[in-house]
Amino acid sequence: MILENVLAAIQELATFKTILLMTVGAMAGLLAGAIPGFTIAMAIVLTLPFTFGMEASQGVATMIGVYVGGLSGGLMSGILIGIPGTPSSVATTFDGFPMARNGDPGFALGLGVWSSFFGGIIATVLLVLVAPQLAKVGLEFQPWDYFSLIFFALTVTASLAGENMIKGLISGALGLIVACVGEDDINGVQRFAFGNDFLGEGFAFLPVLIGLFAFSQLMSDIRDTTSARKSLTDMGDVSVRIEHRRAIATIIKDWINLVRSSLIGVFTGVLPAAGSSISNILAYDQAKKASPTPEKFGTGHSGGIIAPESANNATAGGALITMMALGIPGDVITAVMLGALLIHDVIPSPAFIAEQPKIAYAIFIAFFFANFLVLILQTGALRGFVLVTRVRMYVLASIILVYCGIGVFSLNNITNDMWTLAIFGVVGYTMRTLKFPLAPMILGVVLGPIAERWLSRSLALSTDVTEFITHPWSLFFLIASVFSIGFSLYQKQRGTKVWTLWYAPVLMLALTVPLFMMGGIVRPALAVVLIVLAVLIMRKIPAATRALKSIN
Amino acid sequence: MGTMSRDTVVSIILLLFCGLLIWAGYQIRDPQFGELSPAAWPKGVSYVLTALCLIYFAQSLMGDSARKADGSPNDAPAHAGGLSGWFRYYFNPIVCFALYFAFLATLPFFGTLIGGTLLVFLLLSFLGGIAPKQIVIHALIAIISVGAMWALFTYGLRVLLPRGEIIPGI
Repeated sequence: MILENVLAAIQELATFKTILLMTVGAMAGLLAGAIPGFTIAMAIVLTLPFTFGMEASQGVATMIGVYVGGLSGGLMSGILIGIPGTPSSVATTFDGFPMARNGDPGFALGLGVWSSFFGGIIATVLLVLVAPQLAKVGLEFQPWDYFSLIFFALTVTASLAGENMIKGLISGALGLIVACVGEDDINGVQRFAFGNDFLGEGFAFLPVLIGLFAFSQLMSDIRDTTSARKSLTDMGDVSVRIEHRRAIATIIKDWINLVRSSLIGVFTGVLPAAGSSISNILAYDQAKKASPTPEKFGTGHSGGIIAPESANNATAGGALITMMALGIPGDVITAVMLGALLIHDVIPSPAFIAEQPKIAYAIFIAFFFANFLVLILQTGALRGFVLVTRVRMYVLASIILVYCGIGVFSLNNITNDMWTLAIFGVVGYTMRTLKFPLAPMILGVVLGPIAERWLSRSLALSTDVTEFITHPWSLFFLIASVFSIGFSLYQKQRGTKVWTLWYAPVLMLALTVPLFMMGGIVRPALAVVLIVLAVLIMRKIPAATRALKSIN
Repeated sequence: MGTMSRDTVVSIILLLFCGLLIWAGYQIRDPQFGELSPAAWPKGVSYVLTALCLIYFAQSLMGDSARKADGSPNDAPAHAGGLSGWFRYYFNPIVCFALYFAFLATLPFFGTLIGGTLLVFLLLSFLGGIAPKQIVIHALIAIISVGAMWALFTYGLRVLLPRGEIIPGI
């Protein structure tokens, strides 16, 4: 049945016109993704009118080309100039940019390109095979579960904090404050406006992001006139050749990271309202936590590029399945696609895959094909983009500063966004100077409003706060949050303190509670497996404790 | 001030900022609608931020006392020579930020095309030097780069960029 549908979908899409449209869409997406301030959503919105006259599958295939292109395009600017083209490639910048600055931009780009590709392919295979089951998990989520999921994502700030955890947490809390400024989404009441119209309108996310990251980075680059007059190529032996073989070999070697990050991406994508801006950071965090050398993250570590890039492309697949199976958009982009389907009288619902198998599988195949298409197009596009690194830093900085302003303006067509960009440029530069990490602040700005919205919805349904621990998924994420907060301390003291030996088994045992609460067969069975693993680990603790005490 | 580290000073400033936030949190209007008041989340975050800043303050104070006991100096700043040294050290970013804010302030007069070209030219000349040959190159770079950007957004993406009074069409 699946094979039949797949073949029918291939037949539907394998026309010159559709492939041409997808190619144009993917190029547009790559361009939009690479331009900071120009979002994928904006590119999709601009594509929408062009799809009115197309067949439903053709129109959606074109949009998928833009979507996948945009997700992959974000890595180019993120790696080469330190400006994430889209929020979905924020985490790529953490290691991609340092790697490029360390003289290895070709390898960094290769890692990004191939991780995106593999992430997309893994997501497609998963979606076709286990789509209905994944959609069911998304359907189980209630507001309490969403809030706890976002809360878990917020605890990631602790591990993004770097050397000084308290500065990282302050930075994260400042991000939450920034997100509070202006009218609140629920009641429309002004907060932290101090009677000022500019503050009353609040801060759009992208100007804040570009100001904090790009503006402040550019200012750091030109602080010293001598280094400002050098190009990136002068700073070291920079290879402009994209190192495909080396990148593929590294990714295959780090396949666990790739698969884990892709799974995180798909799972996050399946959950409505949790898009690639969250998944890339979650995947990065998990890769850092699982790495034997977490201290190297942030300095140009290959795992720090593989994780976010595979996750953000995989998220697109997850978001598509929720859109198709439930009619719920996973993010703004799939919301626009949903609109495109509705224009063609195709109404996504839980019965969509069964009722419209041709279009449903055409979406899967288009997503699969788009990854190949983008890989081919990107390889050529990147060659040109790498040449950017040969331009002198002050020339690049001066042009990008103006370009950021224009790009930011085009978001909402208001000059206030340009002021926001400049103000957060100053804030970002000051924070850099004072050694406050910026990544937690970004996370706070992104996740703050989402967390508040779900908290409000939870409390609107019931004021009983015990709901947060009686709902299995909510409890699952709250337990994960507690352990996530303590993880930085665990990593610092691992191998020196006895309590760290208990960390993993206790986490496993704690997670069995919500798994048992979920019921069914698979999840309790998974809980039993976790109990067995925990017991096996605990049996080794007395010997490990003695060994530790003898060392100490 | 001389015995206080930079972290202590920053933590005090942050605590003052927290005080302002908490005060502002109580000024938020409550529409008496819904279970979660619009002030609840900002107030909660303000309290968390205050608690974190207090820990930061305590940490930096402890660091100061430890340094005093050791007789070791505070972390050396990146620049030397007091306020004038600070100004010299951060001269480039200060001028660039000032130019950018000037660009934004004069945007209604110059518009994006002229204002942007002027900004790029001034930034290039300030950072790259003002030898006659460089001035020509900088002018060309400014005109071509901003012109291309302006054309792409105006005609390619149909974005109506801010226009100026000086030449109303652009």
